[in-house]
Amino acid sequence: MPSDSSENRATTPSPAAPPRRAPVDPRGPRFSAAITAVLLLVVIFLSLTGASVAALVLLAAIAALFAWGAFAGVGRHPYGLLFKRFVRPRLAPPAELEDAAPPTFAQGVGLFVTVIGVVLGLFGLAPAVGIAAGFAFIAAFLNSVFDYCLGCQLYLLLVRARILGRSPAAA
Amino acid sequence: MNPFGAALVVVALVAVATVLGLVYRSRQGLFRDVADTETTVLTPADVGSQVPFGPAATLVQFSTEFCSRCPGTHRLLSQIADGRPGVAHVDVDLTHRADLANRFGVLQTPTTLILDGAGRVHARVGGAPHRADVLRHLDHLAGPESANPLTASHLPGSPHAQ
Repeated sequence: MPSDSSENRATTPSPAAPPRRAPVDPRGPRFSAAITAVLLLVVIFLSLTGASVAALVLLAAIAALFAWGAFAGVGRHPYGLLFKRFVRPRLAPPAELEDAAPPTFAQGVGLFVTVIGVVLGLFGLAPAVGIAAGFAFIAAFLNSVFDYCLGCQLYLLLVRARILGRSPAAA
Repeated sequence: MNPFGAALVVVALVAVATVLGLVYRSRQGLFRDVADTETTVLTPADVGSQVPFGPAATLVQFSTEFCSRCPGTHRLLSQIADGRPGVAHVDVDLTHRADLANRFGVLQTPTTLILDGAGRVHARVGGAPHRADVLRHLDHLAGPESANPLTASHLPGSPHAQ
C-alpha cells in the first residue's frame, strides 16, 4: 500500500498540500456541470429563436450560480447541496475524494465566460449571449460527460504565461 | 431562426462537443516513446528535485495545485514505485516552476516522464496513466530477465482500480 514515507516531494508545497476547502466527491461537480450544460443549451435555443431577453436573463442566472460556486466554493453551491442531499445517498461511496480547489477554479472560468456574454448582451449585442453560452456549454459538457477539467488546463497555461503561479524560489 | 433550425443547431453543438470529448478520452494516458537519438540525460536538479532518482527507473510527474487528476496519479505512481526496488517517483509542482513547464513543453497535467536508471527519458505520458501501461514500460526498461510475475506480484491491487 502507498506509504507517505517513500513519497518524494520535489518541490514544496506539493500538489497534495492541505486543501483550503473540504474535499468533495468528484461526482458532485460533474453532476452540477450536467445541470449547467442543459441550462446553457436552453440559453442557446432561446437566443437562436429570437427570445433575446429570456436568453439574457437565464444566462445572467447561470452566471450568478457560477459566482456562487467560485466565491463560496463548490461544496456550498446549490447544485452541490442538491447532489449531497438527493444523489450521493443513492450512489456507492466515491473511490476517492477530490480537492475542492480545481472545480472551484473551474466555476470562476465559467463565471468569466458567461459574464462576457451577459455584458455584451446588455449592450445590445444579442448574438454574444448565445455564443458565450455555446463556449460555456462545451466546457460544462466535457466536464460532466468526459471528466475533462478545462480549468486545470487553463491554470497550467496561465502559469506558463507567468500570469498565475509564482516564480522559482530565489534560494 | 425558426425553432426547428434552432434545435438542429443545438443538436449539432452536442455532437461537436461529443467528438471533442471522444478525442480527449482516446488521448488520455497515451504513451509516447521518446526516440533514443533525442534523449538527454536528466538529473534531479533539472526538475528541481532534492531527492535522488531511482537506480532502475524514475517516474517524473508534473502537476499543479489546480489539477483534478494529479492526486490520483500521485497515489498510483508512488504505489508503483513502492512496489518496485530501484524505482523512484518524483512529483514536480509546476505552480512554482513555470520555467520547467516551458522547458519540458508541458501542455496538460499530469504529464509523466519515464526515465531509465541513467536519467534518459524513455517515454512521456499525457494525462492520467494506466497502471498496466506503466508496469509494462518498467518491465521493458528492466530487461527481459526482470519481466517476471514475481516483480509485478509485489504490487497490491489498487483499491481505486477502474
